[in-house]
Amino acid sequence: MTQELPEVSVSPTRKVFLSGASVVWIIPLLALVAALFVAWQSFNARGPLIVIEFENGSGIKASETELRYRDVTVGVVEKVGFSEGLERVTASVRLDKEVAPFVDAGAVFWVVEPEVTAQGITGLSTVLSGVYIEASWDDFPGPAANRFQGASEAPLIRPGQSGLEIAFRTAANGELTDNAPILFKGIEVGRVGRARIAPRGNFAIVEALIYDEHRHLINGSTRFWDTSGFSVNIGPAGAEIDFSSIATLVGGGITFDTFVSGGGVVQDGTVFDVFPDKESARNSLFNASAVDPLQISVIFDDNISGLAVGAPVELSGLKIGEVESISGLVNVDQFGDSRVRLNANLSIQPARLGLPGDVSAENALTFLESRVVAGLRAGLASASLLTGGLKVELVMVEDAPTARLRDDGTNLPVMPTTKNETSDAAATVEGVFTRINNLPIEELLNSAITFLDSAEYLISNEDLLNTPADVRGLLGELQGLVSSTDVQNIPVSLNATLVRVETLVAQLEQERVAAKLSAALDGAASAAGAIETSVEGVPALIAQIEAVAAKAETLAVDELITELTALTQSVDRVVGTDDAVALPGSLKRALDEVNYTLQELREGGAIENVNQTLASARNAADSIAVSAQDLPQIVDRLTQLFAQASRTIQGYDKGDQLSRSVQDALRDIQKAADALGSLARTIERNPNSLLLGR
Amino acid sequence: MGIVACQRCTKAAPLGTRTCDRCGHKLQSRDPMSLQRVWAYWFVGLLCYIPANVYPMLKTQTLFSTDESTIIGGAVELAHHGAFGIAAIILIASVVIPLAKFWAVAYLAVSVTQPTRVSNQRRQFIYEIVEYIGRWSMIDIFVVAILSALVQLKTLASINPGPASIFFALSVIFTMLSAQAFDSRMIWDVQTKRDSAT
Repeated sequence: MTQELPEVSVSPTRKVFLSGASVVWIIPLLALVAALFVAWQSFNARGPLIVIEFENGSGIKASETELRYRDVTVGVVEKVGFSEGLERVTASVRLDKEVAPFVDAGAVFWVVEPEVTAQGITGLSTVLSGVYIEASWDDFPGPAANRFQGASEAPLIRPGQSGLEIAFRTAANGELTDNAPILFKGIEVGRVGRARIAPRGNFAIVEALIYDEHRHLINGSTRFWDTSGFSVNIGPAGAEIDFSSIATLVGGGITFDTFVSGGGVVQDGTVFDVFPDKESARNSLFNASAVDPLQISVIFDDNISGLAVGAPVELSGLKIGEVESISGLVNVDQFGDSRVRLNANLSIQPARLGLPGDVSAENALTFLESRVVAGLRAGLASASLLTGGLKVELVMVEDAPTARLRDDGTNLPVMPTTKNETSDAAATVEGVFTRINNLPIEELLNSAITFLDSAEYLISNEDLLNTPADVRGLLGELQGLVSSTDVQNIPVSLNATLVRVETLVAQLEQERVAAKLSAALDGAASAAGAIETSVEGVPALIAQIEAVAAKAETLAVDELITELTALTQSVDRVVGTDDAVALPGSLKRALDEVNYTLQELREGGAIENVNQTLASARNAADSIAVSAQDLPQIVDRLTQLFAQASRTIQGYDKGDQLSRSVQDALRDIQKAADALGSLARTIERNPNSLLLGR
Repeated sequence: MGIVACQRCTKAAPLGTRTCDRCGHKLQSRDPMSLQRVWAYWFVGLLCYIPANVYPMLKTQTLFSTDESTIIGGAVELAHHGAFGIAAIILIASVVIPLAKFWAVAYLAVSVTQPTRVSNQRRQFIYEIVEYIGRWSMIDIFVVAILSALVQLKTLASINPGPASIFFALSVIFTMLSAQAFDSRMIWDVQTKRDSAT
């Protein structure tokens, strides 16, 4: 086979490759264009990257945490890092392009986290989804900014939100609660932000927002007060618990009212005081004075405790001010001694004085000056009997020593003072208590207890218990004696005796008496004569008597009293001795003896003895008759004795010491009686004291 | 020899015949646009492969979190959890094999125009492997599709394909087109040329 195979022309690919591009290249070109377009579009749609600095990360995650504005996602955190020096956390957020122009320097960013507070639970959705960054900015595009400081909490007033922006300041004793609602008739018309302490630490301040639709409720005379907590009043109508609502009870709240009309329009930034309650808020409105208070000083000589800062200053019962400060004052030059005086600075509201014309501190001072010249003085008075608190009272004093309101221009004007009218009740009661305290009750009770012990021992003595029985026996025997026939016969015997005496006397008369009487009379006459002759000796006798009297005067009465006292003490001791205790026994024995004697009398021929006695009496009568002769002498002696005794008694009368001693003795006795009386009362009040020994 | 084989029905026809008289397919001894198509598809495939690795392949939403993982990121995460086997499979199927295909197709396309030391038989073998393995590259997309279909429990948990899955599928498709566009006869043309040259 010589058949030639035709030459196959193998066209080289290179040639084709060079000859022209295939249509298929459109596909990669399209792909490339599409890719480039998508890339350009995504790049073009990308917003700017902003950096927000936060105090801490608080759950921000890169490429996950969203940035939201009005709860719409407008960006995503791309990177979480630290600022230089690791001081703060920075979150780089890719913003959406359409919101980017609005994110200017006024934008505010904060992290929304779940939060449980007294006001409620917020950010609950972030529990599952994780935190997000909430942003807030106004409606106007501004110059771009790319670095922001994140706020630690949601701002009270968000940009673009309108309302009346005011601030609250705590008045005295007032409180503020963070994020509390501002309520008006139970409707929330505003909100309070986060409270902070003023730089000087004297009050707390908080900014607040009154929503736009309610801003007309606030004017210059509006007063705010705290409604948190509850109050308990116990009065005649019973107990009363008062609180605004459970929400404010827990979370606090502020409410307000405009008590008087005529307040001016309130501008943003006005600061209002927050009062602790409605009453003080209302009072503040009337208390508030446009003028400064008048400051005066009062120096009280006595340092009486009870005057406190804030104590009222009253004029005719009307409170015109209060004590602003109290201090001690020592000024040797001014007062002449170094005693500490009480210096009180008073703050007086000129408006309270009700002065005509211009209400000012100067006017008030002028008024007070004129009143002081008329006698107005400052004095301390009891504000309350219970607490012992004092107040300063300006009172008109009649016939007051001249004084002026000293005003040297540099120091505070000094008001003259008057006697303090503090209530005496307290002092009196105090004195009574002091006396009671000083009473020797302990000793008295001890003595009483020992006395009662002794008495008890004495009374419980068996001998003494037997005494009544003995006495009864004795009486029975006495009765027996009296009713005995012998005794009944005594009158008969007496009668006989008297008959005999009568006969005896008759005999005497008949026999000798007349003669003897005449003789006696003669004797008497001669005696009278003797007296007459001896009259010359009378002055000497009188002198003698006087000497005796003088001696009697100089009698050592003191010693007598001392001895008497000693004797009394001895008696006291004797009474206290066992012998005295044994006295009942002796008494009984004595009674027994009497008894025995009586028995003897009855048994042992007492009647005979009586008869004998009567016979002796007759003899005695005889002797009397005999000795009647001596009667004049006896009479003389008796006279002398009586005179002497009389003088002696006069001397005793003059003995002041004696009478004083007697008086003392009486007083002692009285004291003892008083002491016994008080003891009795004490025991009556507190019988236990006997048992307890005190 | 003057004979050209139909590429569709393999009927031989004398050289110069325009169309196959049996199936009507255009008869061509060599496709002059073959290499251009190879490169064009290869380029698109590579272009798609970039976003396929940058964008997330799977979006896993559970009650508390949304997880988006790229191919490599997912493999790394699996490896972190100790599943080295699965991580290796994912890496091989989704990274090693596609890249190897890109390399193989590019090498073959270059080798037909440039002198090469690798024998024609070996290059033919490479081509056959690429042709064979190409369809299996879709296994990733298959897994994503099955997961997305099965795990749809509303808010509790759901899995959705990410944008990378589209690009990955496109990349696979274009790689296969690229491999198919390669006329394996050109491997031998070089041999013929070299023989004729000597």
